[in-house]
Amino acid sequence: MKISQDWIREYVAVDLPRQELVDRLTMIGWVPETVEEKDGDLILDLETYANRPDTLGHLGVARELGALLRLPLLEKDWPVAELDEETAAVADVQIAAEALCPRYCGLVVRGVPVGPSPEWMRRRLEAVGLRPINNIVDVSNYVLFATGQPLHTFDFGRIGGGRIVVREAKRGETLVDLDGRTLALEPGMLVIADESRPVALAGIIGGQASGISESTRDVFIESACFDPIGIRKTAKKLGLATDASYRFERGADIGFAPQGARMAASLLTQMGGRASRGLIDCYPRPPKALRVRLRLRRVAELLGVVVPEEFVVDVLGRLGFRLEPAAHHAWRVDVPTFRVDVSREADLVEEVARFYGYDRIPPRVTPVDSFPLAANRSRERLARIRQALLGQGFDEVINWSFADPEREAAAAGGRTPVAIQNPFSNRASVMRTTLLPGLVENAAWNLNRGLEGVHVFETGNVYYWVDEKKHREDLHLGLLSTGLRPGAGPSGAPAEADFFTVKGAVEAALEALRFDPVVFEERDHPSFEPGSALAVLYRGQAVGFVGTLRAAFTAGASVERPVIAGEIDLSALFGKTPRPFEFVPVPKFPGVVRDFSFLVDRAVPYGDAARILGRLDQPLLEGFELVDRFAGPPVPEGRVSLTIRLRFRHPQRTLVAGEVDKAAQEIIGHLKAALDIQLREGIN
Amino acid sequence: MATLKDRIEEVRKAFEEAAPQAGDAKSVEELRTAFLGRKRGRIMLLFEELKSAPAEEKREAGRLVNELKVAVVDRLQALENGALMAVRPAREIDLTLPGRQRYVGRPHPLTLFQEEIERIFLSMGFAIEEGPEIETDYYNFEALNFPPHHPARDKWDTLFIKGDLLLRTHTSPVQVRVMERTKPPIRIICPGRVFRRETPDPTHLPMFLQVEGLVVDQGVTFANLKGTLEHFLRALFGEKVKVRFRPSYFPFTEPSAEVDIECLVCSGRDPDCRVCGGTGWKEILGSGMVDPQVLKNVNIDPEKYSGWAFGLGVDRTAMFAFGIPEMRYFYENDLRFLRQFGAK
Ligand SMILES: [Zn+2]
Repeated sequence: MKISQDWIREYVAVDLPRQELVDRLTMIGWVPETVEEKDGDLILDLETYANRPDTLGHLGVARELGALLRLPLLEKDWPVAELDEETAAVADVQIAAEALCPRYCGLVVRGVPVGPSPEWMRRRLEAVGLRPINNIVDVSNYVLFATGQPLHTFDFGRIGGGRIVVREAKRGETLVDLDGRTLALEPGMLVIADESRPVALAGIIGGQASGISESTRDVFIESACFDPIGIRKTAKKLGLATDASYRFERGADIGFAPQGARMAASLLTQMGGRASRGLIDCYPRPPKALRVRLRLRRVAELLGVVVPEEFVVDVLGRLGFRLEPAAHHAWRVDVPTFRVDVSREADLVEEVARFYGYDRIPPRVTPVDSFPLAANRSRERLARIRQALLGQGFDEVINWSFADPEREAAAAGGRTPVAIQNPFSNRASVMRTTLLPGLVENAAWNLNRGLEGVHVFETGNVYYWVDEKKHREDLHLGLLSTGLRPGAGPSGAPAEADFFTVKGAVEAALEALRFDPVVFEERDHPSFEPGSALAVLYRGQAVGFVGTLRAAFTAGASVERPVIAGEIDLSALFGKTPRPFEFVPVPKFPGVVRDFSFLVDRAVPYGDAARILGRLDQPLLEGFELVDRFAGPPVPEGRVSLTIRLRFRHPQRTLVAGEVDKAAQEIIGHLKAALDIQLREGIN
Repeated sequence: MATLKDRIEEVRKAFEEAAPQAGDAKSVEELRTAFLGRKRGRIMLLFEELKSAPAEEKREAGRLVNELKVAVVDRLQALENGALMAVRPAREIDLTLPGRQRYVGRPHPLTLFQEEIERIFLSMGFAIEEGPEIETDYYNFEALNFPPHHPARDKWDTLFIKGDLLLRTHTSPVQVRVMERTKPPIRIICPGRVFRRETPDPTHLPMFLQVEGLVVDQGVTFANLKGTLEHFLRALFGEKVKVRFRPSYFPFTEPSAEVDIECLVCSGRDPDCRVCGGTGWKEILGSGMVDPQVLKNVNIDPEKYSGWAFGLGVDRTAMFAFGIPEMRYFYENDLRFLRQFGAK
């Protein structure tokens, strides 16, 4: 909010160099976002706080400065030239919705010639960025920016029957506001009505019909207090935001309402008007003054510094609190009505701290006497996975959790996405159910900018509805690989990524978790080309997929080359228990290696042979791996040659050639029986 | 008759003339025999001669013969190495070619920066806690002392799901959840994604990363908040960085403080500085003593326990630390941008 230094000086005799003023305001919480000199005045645009409506006027800021600089707040008289006629005799105020309007003050000023306001007032208003309109409107703006109290002025001649009824709107009622908009009112919205219809939307905006015009002779001044929640709900519902609603929804000073009316009346009578005698003050249930206990010891306990008792008493006094001493260095503190933010001891401690100075509180590290023992397992596992993937040459990305509903549908995960009620963009109106579209976008972005390959992964949540009422968010790993792999040296051509790049990365990532090995199984998935995807199974449960993305899906993001990707549900995996780590002694006795090659039908996948070998009950077989696979001449059509290396070892002694031969024969026998293999070379 | 000294000089000259002719291993070996051969080597003969030299010559000549021998041995060694090199066909290996590297992927800069922050707090005995990103109004607002329909909520502009579900606007709900299930002492940080209904611009995005922290124990004071956060900021930005605490307002802390560090770009010397706007200070985090109402909401007695909390935007802090002008760079995932930070 814009504050004029000259205006402030009407309330407190501040005289500080510009930079010092800025610094000192900052250090009690009022940060000038801009500072400008204008016609010899200094205009500070102060950051405001939602809990401090009292500082939304010059008086409140002056009070803060007075407390800071130990300067008295200057009082001003507001004399009113009165008529004989009693206010109550010409106007009748009724509050029919007490909860929404706890206090309503008003009076009539007759015979004000409508015209421009005096020069000094126009200067004040222009200084804080307002456009002067006419003396009557300007007076209400002046009071608002001087004190924070919003006023409203009605053309009293247009108030039917001189009756002011503060009530909820009736269904179907409308009001044409000062800006000419027709507002559709409904019960719950508070209006100011005359004997027949609404004339203003209470605390937010006035009606056009009862507004000040050139022909206005008599003015009704309203200075009231409205319920903050009621104002906020109504303003939000109607999409309105005014200087008045801004203040009322933060909480107006219920104690100041009469003074606001008097100030306005005084100013208008200085411009030639005469006020009706006596103020109407409808205040059905004045609340009891708020009283808070403050203990000096508590100040030290919360701040970690001993603040002198005299300082506490002095500063709170200057801020408008009334302190009544109690036993043991404590006080009963009466909170002034303008401080709607203060209701507890901690609030008072903050006031003490602000003015004592945060910079005078000595820094001390928080002492530690215990350290957490339980590690965050999930993060530890995630770190292992990330490390493994970086090691595999994949770069890490972070994508939006939001998704384009069309893209999401194209990814075809089949899950019901979580929609956002008020999205910032229609292309980000649901939460993602899969990481794949984001990764495809990353591929498109980088390929379009000339990179020859993109190999990336992301770990992050996906979100979906399980049923009507229940949603889930699961931590997923997504990875994608397309094009040339980075980092080839001078002697080697860079390799093109293929399916096994991604499969290997998934294997490496999951091995880092020390879980039981995952199993891959051919299975179709709508995101992937038919026949080119594998499900990733952990103990029989599908936890993810790897495969070549469906061309239609990647083409949607204008990626024309083949893209291999995978997605793993880490939440499902992280819930499992890893194998306990066990140390295995390094073998003492030499092992024996036997390679053998065989032909097998092309339709038989290597995985079948591996599964048979893996299940053998052959104590001497330490392990095996595939060392070669090829098809084409001299291998007959329809067949493929596989070379498998068998590793034999006995834990307690050196193996004898005969027993290795025997074991190998048995193994080959099993393969022959199951897969119809035909030996080529090696063992026979 | 020439002196012994002259003859030493003669042998040295002879060696220097012969040495450049020795191009392969064989001729180097011949040279060695001719000069260092045990029986007929010319230097060995000089040593013989030295034995019978007059005493006044002996000292000086002995030094010279020894020097010559060392020089010849060194030169022969060098020639031998050269001869070996020459055996290989020239240029088959160009050692100046770049080394062969295996490409290791790069972590995202925000992950890197977040890990740096986590490391500092882990070293001070904090634990890392996480929680859901789709939250309820209660955990995101009400438990944190935001009354319903309070204008304070405007600063935490919210994306709503349905019913009372929303996307968390900060990771403070994690603090509430931890306080609900744990007895003090509590000492945690909560990193994670948070969401706001923002129209994207250079410094605002609808999603960003945050790290919040919370300490609750007996006797915890604002002085502890200051000391710990100062330590953190010095660990992150360098030992000498100036830190400033100034009053602010958050519904969930009382008293509240914004924490600024001096502008690393201009140190307050540039009135038009794009980073600090000429103030010389850059706002880095929000903090404060946990509001007693927040403690009550999770059944912790504010008379017995007190606490402090802070929250920091990882993205904006990283922008400041690395001099990155626009926040969206982090989410474009341009590999030419991302890969720079692996070396950080
Ligand atoms: Zn700067």
